[in-house]
Amino acid sequence: MTDFNYILETILLLAVPIVPVAAGVFLRGKFPPPAEGQPPRTGAQKAARLAGNVLFWGGLAGILFMIVVILNFKGKI
Amino acid sequence: MKAIKLLAALLVLTPAAALAADRVKWEPDRPEFKYFTERGSYDEKSWAELAPAEQEKALEDAAEPAAARQQAVAQAYRPMAARWDTAQLRYYSSGLKNSDINAVYLWVGKQEGHELAHKLFTVREAVNKASVSGLGTEDEAALGQYLTPEAIKDLHSMKFASDLARKQAAGIKDKGPASGSSSKLGKLGGASPSKLSAGKLSGLYDKADQSGSPDMGTSAAVIGAGGKPGLQSGKPNATAARTIKYSAPEALQGPAPKSKAWTSDAYGITVETAQGTQAYRKSSEAEAAIRKLPPGSVKKIILYGHGSPGMQTVGDAVYDADGTAALLKDKMAQGGVIQFAGCNTSSIGGATLNPAVGLSMVARRLLYFSLPYFQDRADGIPAAQAREQWEKGWNADLARDTSLGVKGAVVCGYRTFGLVPGRLPGLTKLLGTQEATSPGVVAGKKACYQDGKEVPAP
Repeated sequence: MTDFNYILETILLLAVPIVPVAAGVFLRGKFPPPAEGQPPRTGAQKAARLAGNVLFWGGLAGILFMIVVILNFKGKI
Repeated sequence: MKAIKLLAALLVLTPAAALAADRVKWEPDRPEFKYFTERGSYDEKSWAELAPAEQEKALEDAAEPAAARQQAVAQAYRPMAARWDTAQLRYYSSGLKNSDINAVYLWVGKQEGHELAHKLFTVREAVNKASVSGLGTEDEAALGQYLTPEAIKDLHSMKFASDLARKQAAGIKDKGPASGSSSKLGKLGGASPSKLSAGKLSGLYDKADQSGSPDMGTSAAVIGAGGKPGLQSGKPNATAARTIKYSAPEALQGPAPKSKAWTSDAYGITVETAQGTQAYRKSSEAEAAIRKLPPGSVKKIILYGHGSPGMQTVGDAVYDADGTAALLKDKMAQGGVIQFAGCNTSSIGGATLNPAVGLSMVARRLLYFSLPYFQDRADGIPAAQAREQWEKGWNADLARDTSLGVKGAVVCGYRTFGLVPGRLPGLTKLLGTQEATSPGVVAGKKACYQDGKEVPAP
């Protein structure tokens, strides 16, 4: 049971950096840039798109950060 | 008749008075005198200078704690002398220090102390060998008298041995054996620990060295914070101020030309006193200079290198809370600052809304708990044992623990991984910081403690 709990915890911890990326992907999909001929986006739509971008790229940066930290810890860099 | 009575009375009383006025001789084998030696209260010379009444009072005061201490050391020594099982091997090989060996020399006997020192030396060498090239038949035979067959078998696991060797090198104390034997000997029972100086026992150990005892300086905490104990030892009862002649730290040899290397090898110790600021690449040189400083003279010290929960490296030297406190406790000015410039040198602290700090917490938990926990489980270590060990260690707070040992000083560390721009490949070349001795700008969350309580960063 102890091992199971810790495996679960590890999976959740590893998933933490994925959450903002997933949220970013969702928001970017939901609020795509306007195509030609479509009405301009509202302020709320622009803000949602921006939040999506921040979450997506920030999340990717976070994952990169964790990879760097782990490689550093293992003495690779 | 009256005169005869008076004379008789005088004859009876004179020897009694003479006896009462006699000084007690220094008896090194008596527990009270061992206690004085360990505390550094008296040596043979200072004891002889005491008035008989003072001697009597001192002996009376010491009788009870000395007996308790003798019993405690004897009890702790028994499992150390027996063949170690795996748990004991893990604990003793990384956790025993010079002060423990010295306690055995003093309280149990020189022969026993010598044998324990030799045993520890042999086992540590074997662990190192096992982690690199594995054990041969001869090594096994040599270890047979010190370890149980099960422990020797476990040493054959390169993973187990390399983990143990790493802990030995870093001075990371492992979980103690289940019995009460895990109690360390270096602490004084009943006495004021603040009065204990490892240096007071150095004479015993130095003599042992001369008789062929191996140098136990492989304990990293001891190496890291000043080599063998006793480097500051003077006369018992003498203050550091009286025994240490002040000389300012030696100046560095001119500014070194800027490096053009791409990657960083930055570490060092920077010491700030009233005489100015000096930076050292070699920790041994820094420690030697610090030892020469008068008490209360260090205004700020930065230990720059790699950190992990509970420890900080500076080049090859490793500093834990005990080792750092031993080096600096008499040297820091009131409110002086000890800065551990290394990752995770403080605990993670409370909840945060900062995503970078959150990610750092996650990474710390994964690297210092999850990873070693599952490695231990893969090595066959019981879940409860692995959990207890790593749950304690992953969130260790080096800064807070050090502040408890260096009263009055402000000790700072980082709650997070620290990002030092000067260490980034490319920027290192641009800034010429390959061999920098202080970090400059650090992106990380700092925490400071004074006497164990969190205080604002100075």
